[in-house]
Amino acid sequence: MDTGNNRTENRPSIKSDDYLWDRSGEPDPEIQHLETLLGRFRHDSPTPVFPEIVPERRWTFFPRRLRLFPALATAAVGMAAIVAVTFLVYRTKPTPTTLAGWDVSDVQGTPRIGQKTISAKEGASRLGIGQMLETDRQSRASLRADDIGQIQVDPSTRLRLLSMGSGLKRIALDRGTIHTYIWAPPGQFVVDTPSAVTVDLGCAYTLQVDDSGAGMVRTSMGWVGFELNGHESFIPAGAACATRPKVGPGTPYFEDASAEFRAALARFNFEDSTAQQRADDAAIVLREARQRDALTLWHLLARVDDGQRVLVYNRLSKLAPPPATVTKEGILRLDQAMLDLWWNELGFDDISVWRHWERSWAGSETPGHEK
Amino acid sequence: MARSGDRGELLATGLRPGPVREPSALEISEGATWVAAARDGDRAAFGQLYERYARMVHGVLLAKVPVGDVDDLVQDVFILALRRLSTLRETASFGAWLAAIARNVAHDYHRRSVPEEPLPDDASDQEIQCGASGGVQDGPSAAILEAVMSLSETHRETLILRLVEGMTGPEIAGRTGMTHGSVRVNLHRGMEQLRAKLSAGPSRVGPKQEKS
Repeated sequence: MDTGNNRTENRPSIKSDDYLWDRSGEPDPEIQHLETLLGRFRHDSPTPVFPEIVPERRWTFFPRRLRLFPALATAAVGMAAIVAVTFLVYRTKPTPTTLAGWDVSDVQGTPRIGQKTISAKEGASRLGIGQMLETDRQSRASLRADDIGQIQVDPSTRLRLLSMGSGLKRIALDRGTIHTYIWAPPGQFVVDTPSAVTVDLGCAYTLQVDDSGAGMVRTSMGWVGFELNGHESFIPAGAACATRPKVGPGTPYFEDASAEFRAALARFNFEDSTAQQRADDAAIVLREARQRDALTLWHLLARVDDGQRVLVYNRLSKLAPPPATVTKEGILRLDQAMLDLWWNELGFDDISVWRHWERSWAGSETPGHEK
Repeated sequence: MARSGDRGELLATGLRPGPVREPSALEISEGATWVAAARDGDRAAFGQLYERYARMVHGVLLAKVPVGDVDDLVQDVFILALRRLSTLRETASFGAWLAAIARNVAHDYHRRSVPEEPLPDDASDQEIQCGASGGVQDGPSAAILEAVMSLSETHRETLILRLVEGMTGPEIAGRTGMTHGSVRVNLHRGMEQLRAKLSAGPSRVGPKQEKS
């Protein structure tokens, strides 16, 4: 079976990729071969007939007919003014659904928005900017914003909507558990917790915060950035990461790692240990690490002391060899570009997405928040 | 996303920036016009959007679901987009928004059809069966698609858009809202990994992709 293998041998790892990029330059026979073979899976369905589109209703001040009769128009305006005044006099609270915010649905029990209790029997509710949603031990709710994503709010949770719009979409999770599924572009949806900022990088994840402000994120799709004051962790699908107030994100790990690995990592991350105990815990992590635990070891490079870094480098090199352009010396001095290149080689995701977020947004808001 | 900073990322990976075909002003304004017209109920304009974005949606889905189900899901994505079009505030973000819907639909597909249970550590074979090559007869095309499907999610999506759908790098960036730098790096690294897998033969798969 010809899979093109014969065309791939003895090639330099870095070559002009103009043809791969935009078909300019000298045609690459290998790429052309792959295009031919894979082209059979290409989209070739004709444009279907779509159902009728119901346009969004737009309010017009004067219906056409009223424009023809100024007196009638004046009367209509007068009536509208009376209705408006009546509304303003008798209303006690703003109508929730007129606020910019997240739609609240799938309500179970009696969650509260601010001081107002909501329930499934009532119509649609909305969590507006600056408002707080709180569930008790029997309550749940779902939040949805069409341009951003969906959040399921578990019992005993309190969150606040901080901002929306074209910039960062930001909420604060004070305590409890949320399950997010985000379809806004990577880097735009941010959750503040008391001990770290969670940045969506195109993903679905669960975020928990306990009463002490400690947190845990578990990613089920895509990946998540966890950050506090420049201390950052990246959590791809299947991985988890804990965070603690004043410490920030720990080292992420895959939850199917050995119990010994996870226990040693937890001690290394958060316990007030002696240098020797930290070295011992790091040694356990290195010994127990499997290939996919390269995730953890890559993060450890910047978290161990100089003496241990070479041990981490050696183990990580065996599990996931660095690209040719990455040197041991560069990694040992924590060269950011080389660390990023090695990360990209691990196959989780492209770290440039995160670097772009850092350039665009990091520092624009205060990480974390007061409880 | 802004496109600043791409050059440094490219140079860091040993890539030359090379010639770039940015979407023309006409293309951008046409797209925004079509989105606005479709929002006002113009089905022909929505048809134009389909023509422009169907390959991108198809590629995004093909990177995540079996090939036999992709065409149906493409239609689902556009129907969903049609219903939600009034909620799209930035017409210029239509492509990124549509790509997000496609990924969401693929996620829902797996949530409906795959029992949620932890994968064994060495689950590559199972993952590949769940992937795009499912339902395709054996042959070199299927073998290569299977190799592509064993790449990481980011690399395989970009590579499928380039090698299967025939889009150029600038087109991929323009349609999906990704930066040129990210697309170029994904293509370069994806090809490197694909070459390694094809050289190693069909039994060699990894690194493992996570179940989505």
